[in-house]
Amino acid sequence: MKLDRVLAISRKNLRSLRRDRRTFAFIFMVPFMMMLVFGYTFGGEVQDIKICVVNLDEGSTTGSYSWSIIDELNSTDALKIVTIYTAADASTDPVSLVHDQVERAEIWAAVVFEKNFTQDAKANMFKLAHGQSFEPSNFTLYLDGTNPNVAAAVSGSLQKALQTVLGDISPIKMPVGMTTEKVYGEDTEFIDFFAPGIMGLAGLLVTFMLTIVTFVRERSSSTLERLLTTPATEGEIVTGYAISFGILALAQSAVILVTGVLLFNIQIEGSFLIALLVIFLLGVGSMGMGLLFSSIAKNELQAVQFIPLVFIPSILLAGIFWPLEAVPEMLRPISYFIPLTYAVDGARSVMIRGWGIDQIWVQVAILILFAIAMLLLSTYMLKRRK
Amino acid sequence: MGKDIADVESGDFAVSTDKLRKEFGDLVAVNDLDLRVRKGVLYGMIGPNGSGKTTTIKVLMGLQRPTAGSGSILGERVPVRRNIAMIGYMPQEMAIYSDLSVHENLELFAELYSVSKEDFAKREGELLEMIDLSQRKNSAVSQLSGGMKHRVSLACTLVHDPEVLFLDEPTVGVDPELRAGFWDYFSKLKTNGKTIVMTTHYMDEAVRCDVVGMMRNGRLIAEGTPEELMRRTSAKNLEDAFLAYSREGGA
Repeated sequence: MKLDRVLAISRKNLRSLRRDRRTFAFIFMVPFMMMLVFGYTFGGEVQDIKICVVNLDEGSTTGSYSWSIIDELNSTDALKIVTIYTAADASTDPVSLVHDQVERAEIWAAVVFEKNFTQDAKANMFKLAHGQSFEPSNFTLYLDGTNPNVAAAVSGSLQKALQTVLGDISPIKMPVGMTTEKVYGEDTEFIDFFAPGIMGLAGLLVTFMLTIVTFVRERSSSTLERLLTTPATEGEIVTGYAISFGILALAQSAVILVTGVLLFNIQIEGSFLIALLVIFLLGVGSMGMGLLFSSIAKNELQAVQFIPLVFIPSILLAGIFWPLEAVPEMLRPISYFIPLTYAVDGARSVMIRGWGIDQIWVQVAILILFAIAMLLLSTYMLKRRK
Repeated sequence: MGKDIADVESGDFAVSTDKLRKEFGDLVAVNDLDLRVRKGVLYGMIGPNGSGKTTTIKVLMGLQRPTAGSGSILGERVPVRRNIAMIGYMPQEMAIYSDLSVHENLELFAELYSVSKEDFAKREGELLEMIDLSQRKNSAVSQLSGGMKHRVSLACTLVHDPEVLFLDEPTVGVDPELRAGFWDYFSKLKTNGKTIVMTTHYMDEAVRCDVVGMMRNGRLIAEGTPEELMRRTSAKNLEDAFLAYSREGGA
């Protein structure tokens, strides 16, 4: 081995990179971005889970446990109490009001303290101190169990608050008990939660990468140039791509769903077809995005670099593995700009909550807009090539 | 006595450019080119690499926007839309799908040009015979030799029976026997009234063109029938004629 020749080859590679400034910039930008996003995302905990409280507790002469628990809940970062209803709001039937809010996924959970909560708890504590048996004083948690992370955070925060308020008095046996009623996701396991996320991720990445690779090849082999000299318009070419890759995204989703159902017994509460429609729309949009990026790239190398640029934020910020509530607040706005966020949320609502199109129309509308915008932009970029 | 340009130039123009100019930064690739190609004529563009032949064709095909001037094909200003199905273009590169078979490539282009299934079935047989690949109809293009791929590319250009053909170096990499076959086919096309504009580096091919345009630095430095060009420069062959015109700096 001759060092001169080895160095000549190394020099050649570095020189050609120097002329390709975009690639050069990417080489430094991608690891920086990866570290930034991974660091912030893994460093963060679930935050700001929206809940409501209904406090019908009349307390006792010496105070109210329910208010102490609410104060504790208020002091945690994990939960964000949106509204507290009291007995004064009784005319509006606050219990069914918050139940409906959980049902519409406006909040993740609702805690209801009954009228005699404090009194019963105190009586129980007396019985406990004197070795008498008792029935724990109850309060109810209405929980959307779609997302196991969120559900665990809500239950955990409540247990911690109970322990803080009542634990000193009776650290071994609690004078109160929590009844949990899961509005959604009675038997939801992590696999049920992941499956829609994996479907979305596969739909996004495979169509995006396939489009980039195929389209860069179309350009480098001049077949694109040739297509553009035929009666096929730019719009027809883009639509042709959209249909073929949309079908691939559908086939992929079907494979994931069938595997999930057969091997892991995942739940599909709602319509299989609506879940597929969501992924199809995402696939079409991702194809458009792939076309757009490949038309910005000057060569294969530049095109391939767009993959982590799309992959990393999607995998970390779109709510696939952990809820948006666990995404650090400063990064959360990015989550709302990632189409995968809506696809995963839509598919999850269909599969776990059993929702129909009328309940996920916002997600579907956003995905349709994304697909249309990407198709129009990529058609425009193709026209601009001339 | 050979033919003069006046003998072949009669009738309407199939292709024309008017002060066509294409610049890439400081480089002037096509320099105020005035080109006239009459219908039914086989027009050969010759000139060294970088003389503007391919760029002229790309501008005419609507693949690049002219910096100034204009061009028209069959009376329609470029970029052509209305007459696009009457034009065939074979780029210098293979520009066919290597993971599709010969038949699938031909079928794709036939569909893009809305050729009916019956016409395609007839046309495919004829074209496969011309390119001598009837036996390899179902082979993937990636399994073919370079020359064979080139032949498939030509067949894709001809599948919709275009009126005007732009062929950018159509015979590169094709063996002599098959080149002769190609030229027989070009003659047949011309007899059927088709117009062909081609670029070539082979002078023995340029001699077979009705009209030859010699290009240098984006300009047309000479134009005429091969005989005329050779006679004017007292050259024995087109290559010498081209060198003579190059030395003159245009005629």
